[in-house]
Amino acid sequence: MTDWIKENGKAVFAGGKGSFEDAARVASQCSCFSEDCEDELVCDDAISCYNCRYRRWTATSFECMKR
Amino acid sequence: MKLFVCIDDTDNYDSIGTGELLENMMGEAAIKGLAKAGFTVRYQLFIHDDIPYTSHNSSMCCAAETNDRETFTEFCQKYLEENSAEGSDPGLCILTDDSSLDYSALIEFGKRAQCKVLTKEEAYKAAKEFGNGLHLSEHGGTGGGIIGALAGAALRAGKEEGRIKGKIQPLPNKPDWTTSEFASVFGVQRFIDEDGNEITDNLSIRFVHPTKLLYSKGLITGVIINENGQLMPKPKIKKNKEKKQ
Repeated sequence: MTDWIKENGKAVFAGGKGSFEDAARVASQCSCFSEDCEDELVCDDAISCYNCRYRRWTATSFECMKR
Repeated sequence: MKLFVCIDDTDNYDSIGTGELLENMMGEAAIKGLAKAGFTVRYQLFIHDDIPYTSHNSSMCCAAETNDRETFTEFCQKYLEENSAEGSDPGLCILTDDSSLDYSALIEFGKRAQCKVLTKEEAYKAAKEFGNGLHLSEHGGTGGGIIGALAGAALRAGKEEGRIKGKIQPLPNKPDWTTSEFASVFGVQRFIDEDGNEITDNLSIRFVHPTKLLYSKGLITGVIINENGQLMPKPKIKKNKEKKQ
């Protein structure tokens, strides 16, 4: 299964907002990961797309601003 | 004079966040003797494709006290113009904090900003209808940040629930507390359980994980959870643990 869905040219995470293990795996392989400010961290994994400053939340998931 | 100060849309992907910029701004205002800041509350606004937020569309609002509102306002305006990130659309709202004022229409605007796409025109209309005691200004880009700035100040004035910026760290060598001790040390005014029920008993709690406080019903509020029979302040983050259960 691919981790990303292309929507209007944007790379949207296929796992939505609840795929914590996938978000951690993808971030661990990403050279662009950068932790967001403390108030915007949402999960326990130190490295996770969900905690990355380059994710832009959408209604159902997030788009990666580095893809 | 007591105020609510809210800024929004001041960042880009590589800059400091709006909450940090607000704290820096208020810190500099304090050094200059212009104002003293209280704690900052984060409000989540609507997540929608038509809203040009950076990553999470939250708005940060702090309380402040000043003896010279005009000079303080001018300072904030200049600070935002000089320190907001490139490509951002900063907005500033400074609202009088006075319990005799009727904030109801503004609060309605704030609540709408949490579930609808609003325009700058709607923000200016709401500000104009409120009248004196409200400053709203744009400081670069599209100036669209006035929408979130007004919404954040309005929600704070309405004592709407939001997260207090920052976290509380456990103290070394002191895992066991009572809620009364915890309240006294960390300034907590009220405790609730995870379902929002008020806790009035003086409970024994174990404080070993960082926690965040809420602003709820106008009070600094701690959330106490029961984890396997152990009462504790709700850990700051536990979302993935919940999901894995």
